[in-house]
Amino acid sequence: MTATIPGRRYASEDDPRVILEEQVGVFEPVPPFPPRTEREAEFYTLGDGEMFLNMGPQHPSTHGVLRVVLKINGEVVTDLDPVLGYLHRGVEKLCENADYHQAICYLDPLEYVSSLFCEWPAVMAFEKLLDVEVPRRAEYIRVLSGELLRVASHALFMGWMALDLGGLTPILWSFIERDEIVEMLGSLTGARMLFNYYRIGGVNGDLNHEFMSRLGDWMTRATEQHEANVRLLNENEIFVRRMRGLGQVDRETALRMCMTGPNLRAAGVPFDVRRSHPYSVYPELDFDIPTRDEGDCLARYLLRLDEVKQSLRIIDQCLHQMPDGPVIAKLPRLLRPRPGRAYAAVESPRGQYAIYGISDGTDQPFRMRIHDPSFVHLQSVGLLMPGHLIADTMAVMASLDPIMGGVDK
Amino acid sequence: MTVVGRAWNRLTLPGKLVFTIVPFLLVGAIVVIALVVIFGQLVLDILAANLPIVRFAVAATAVLLMSVPTAFLIIYMEMKVIALMNLRVGPDRVGPYGSLLSVVHGLKVLMKEDFTPTGADRIVFTLAPVVVYLASVMSLLVIPFAPGLFGQDLNVGLLYFFAVGGLSVVGLLMAGWSSFNKYSLLGGLRSAAQIISYEIQLTLSVVGVLILAGTMSLNQIVLHQSGSFLDWFAFKQPLGLLIFFIAATAEANRTPFDLTEADSEIVAGFATEYSGMRFGFFFFAEYVNVFIMSALLVTLFFGGWTAPFDWPWPVHVDLNPGALGVGLLFLLALAPLVGTIVLAAPFWIARSSMPTWQALIIGFVLFNLLVGLGVFALAFLGWEWVVGLFWFLGKTYAFVFTFVWMRGTLPRVRIDQLMGFAWKWLLPASLLNLFVTAGAIVALGR
Repeated sequence: MTATIPGRRYASEDDPRVILEEQVGVFEPVPPFPPRTEREAEFYTLGDGEMFLNMGPQHPSTHGVLRVVLKINGEVVTDLDPVLGYLHRGVEKLCENADYHQAICYLDPLEYVSSLFCEWPAVMAFEKLLDVEVPRRAEYIRVLSGELLRVASHALFMGWMALDLGGLTPILWSFIERDEIVEMLGSLTGARMLFNYYRIGGVNGDLNHEFMSRLGDWMTRATEQHEANVRLLNENEIFVRRMRGLGQVDRETALRMCMTGPNLRAAGVPFDVRRSHPYSVYPELDFDIPTRDEGDCLARYLLRLDEVKQSLRIIDQCLHQMPDGPVIAKLPRLLRPRPGRAYAAVESPRGQYAIYGISDGTDQPFRMRIHDPSFVHLQSVGLLMPGHLIADTMAVMASLDPIMGGVDK
Repeated sequence: MTVVGRAWNRLTLPGKLVFTIVPFLLVGAIVVIALVVIFGQLVLDILAANLPIVRFAVAATAVLLMSVPTAFLIIYMEMKVIALMNLRVGPDRVGPYGSLLSVVHGLKVLMKEDFTPTGADRIVFTLAPVVVYLASVMSLLVIPFAPGLFGQDLNVGLLYFFAVGGLSVVGLLMAGWSSFNKYSLLGGLRSAAQIISYEIQLTLSVVGVLILAGTMSLNQIVLHQSGSFLDWFAFKQPLGLLIFFIAATAEANRTPFDLTEADSEIVAGFATEYSGMRFGFFFFAEYVNVFIMSALLVTLFFGGWTAPFDWPWPVHVDLNPGALGVGLLFLLALAPLVGTIVLAAPFWIARSSMPTWQALIIGFVLFNLLVGLGVFALAFLGWEWVVGLFWFLGKTYAFVFTFVWMRGTLPRVRIDQLMGFAWKWLLPASLLNLFVTAGAIVALGR
């Protein structure tokens, strides 16, 4: 071996270009070999005229870091394989090593578009374990902020939906609406995105003047602004023609695939956790559960628009019925709930968001299971997408509205 | 150290630059003058003998040079207009109202790494942007901008236009195939399917115009529409216009038919693997295409460079500045000063908080604007080609705006809808248009 100077390459086998030239070939998303399951073996065998197309995790429109391996025949998707885990942080395990107060703030970044709905079931589960009674004002504030965030989340959904179909403008219009709401919640909670506002036994801080003035300002034109955003797309022939009949699920399939939330209601099942398993002060509020029968992308889109109107109704009622009183129950600094199990579910903008917590009597949860609707909905893309064109896979995915933070946990 | 060396070291950096550049310039100027004196007549004779070739070379160069500023202008227009539609501010940092941003974009593209992916077919990969860009630019040659202002007045101008414009699909396919990327491949195939399908509609929709005008020369077609705006073919061929507009949108790869570079589906289509100036060529070609399609639309259906209405009274400008003699010199020397001061005075008087120099700058700018307007008005009245260019560019940019507007408004169609629309609706409609036009011509006996 001759003396070598660091940083200089002598042998051709050291040259990365040479190595690359040797390895170059058509990239195939090869599974771990040998295939782990029969399904994997079947999927990674190409049929006649088929080819793999690797979409994501760095793709302009896979909603975060979802990777989908598409098996395409021309433009038609014949099969697909979603690959998850690019955003996995082990949140459930992190929560087991934090005390009950700290566990809540780990849950925020799961569904980062509507993060209050991740905190909500957790605090509800812990309150059940601790037998705490939450002040009514706190419950009303939770409902108020939650419904505001639902409007914001659905506004963002509208924009993304249009963007995945190639429309540029709606995303920016709906971001204006979302921005107003997150600014409002920012003045209430101190953060614009990851609020960490709900506490065990109540909420962190009462309604303040800035929040109320922003809210009043927004409420005067919320309906009008919503209508304006809706008019951008709802009667657009191209949009409606692309969405109608796309990614259709019937009632039974939707129930079989464990869909919840707007995706299930768009298939005609009037299941809403707020109504069927009432929590917080929802029994005292008057609102409708909109449903649609078609079960296609257009129905899922229009249903969310209807939900925004109901949310505005709920916000209005909350403001009228808001009682006085404390916003948080008196609790010790260190919480040691009785050993036991508790389950709590809320209706997040994406569906049923649930937490199943187990306490072993120490100050840390023994186990926390997070049920995320995005993850559950993502399992039905394999059912919805095959047979559609590449362009439609994005639309179907957008209409299911998954948030990858919650999927990968 | 010698005397020269010491003197050189005492110079500042600008001094060094001046002392380096000025001698070169001097020598260069002397050489040029000498060359002109010795060979000037000879060159002129050769040029005069081959006038058509010279004309073609000049026109091609002019068109090539014109295409880049046109692309810059349309890119800026698109950024700004779509920003306003999106309730954003848009570019506002570089230049007044951000108007130099697209120039900066161009420079940025020049400075980026020129990257060829491993496994790409290097020759085809390099040639593809050239083909696409040249196909766009060469179509500009036959478009009549104004009376006497066109590259070539071919008697098969329209045919040439479609033939050369159809070359761009070859470039897109080359790019899609050679990039060694599946997204590029899909984009290239999509563009082939789309552009070839819509090429038929595009060609068929103008056959009605050809029958009416009886010629394929774009100049003659424009002359056929001279008169008032009621003589435009848009009113005789409304269906043809509609089909042409839709097909032109698809041909220029614009929203809602921008499937070849649908960023939410196939990342950037055929341009996925391109970077640097090669990508820049695709980018410029796209915007030049928008201009070309608008220009052809205006030429065929909206009277080209003809004014929409006749100027109500005849104006003859007989200006002979030389007749003023020394007075002209005084005018040129004094008018700017006096004008600046006169225009600055109102601002200076009305706003006491404004410093004098600011008022003077405002006055100077206003004076320049006024003079510019005056010169333009004189040219507009005096020269036919200025009038023609004014109306032609005005109409063309109105349609460029329409394309930009559609980009800000509409979502994208799907590939099967796109093809179905072309073959099931546009093709029968354009055939119907053709038969109705031909039947009318026969029935009316013209």
